[in-house]
Amino acid sequence: MALNAGDRAFVNSLLQREWSGRNEQTGAMTKADLLAAVAAVDDWIDANAASYNQALPQPARDALTAPQKVELLYRVARRRYEVD
Amino acid sequence: MASGDTLLQWSALANEPPSSNAATFDTRNQHPVLDFDASTNETAVFSGVMPQHYATGGVTVYLHYAMSTATSGDIDWDVGFELVGDGSQDIDSDGFAAVNSVDNTTVPGTSGHIDVVSVAFTDGADMDSVTAGSGFRMKVTRDAASDTAAGDAELRWVEIRET
Repeated sequence: MALNAGDRAFVNSLLQREWSGRNEQTGAMTKADLLAAVAAVDDWIDANAASYNQALPQPARDALTAPQKVELLYRVARRRYEVD
Repeated sequence: MASGDTLLQWSALANEPPSSNAATFDTRNQHPVLDFDASTNETAVFSGVMPQHYATGGVTVYLHYAMSTATSGDIDWDVGFELVGDGSQDIDSDGFAAVNSVDNTTVPGTSGHIDVVSVAFTDGADMDSVTAGSGFRMKVTRDAASDTAAGDAELRWVEIRET
């Protein structure tokens, strides 16, 4: 299920605080533009959750919990781009 | 004192944080700054004694700020005065006058560039009747609920001039 408006706003605020803390440039983008991006990612996850789950091999697909599958995706994606 | 002359000035180091929703002290390349959140209205407070050479011409407050990350959008600031004075304000509570605002300022195209905006106050009730020799506080708030620029705003200096 997609995030509600409050949760999307929370992610929007969190990203701005984290990027501001690292003085990480966000270019010509307003708060509303970033919120639209958050919404688009949330919608993409909603549309592709089943496909992601099917991409996991067994036994991971059955053994991992939903939160674990989310963390798996997050850790792999983050490592690819070394954002730490 | 002549119009345009500096009465008082502060750096970010002089902030006296309010008890809630305070701007956060930070450094940027060793510049002390106050970070104002992009989602929640946050406030910094500065205090002083109005100099004797204030000539009742009203004051203009100059805010020197930069954006942490944004290079587009606009920013809104609110400024308000509180006369503490000689028997004028019980310091156990707040008594700020209504704020004056500078809104819809397009932020600099380079995030580290300082922009300077100003807010004018007429002498008298508009600046809570602060007079020469009276103690006062001044609060600076980012109206993040209304502005559009993403990320923190960083306040570097505040200056008060005779209008």
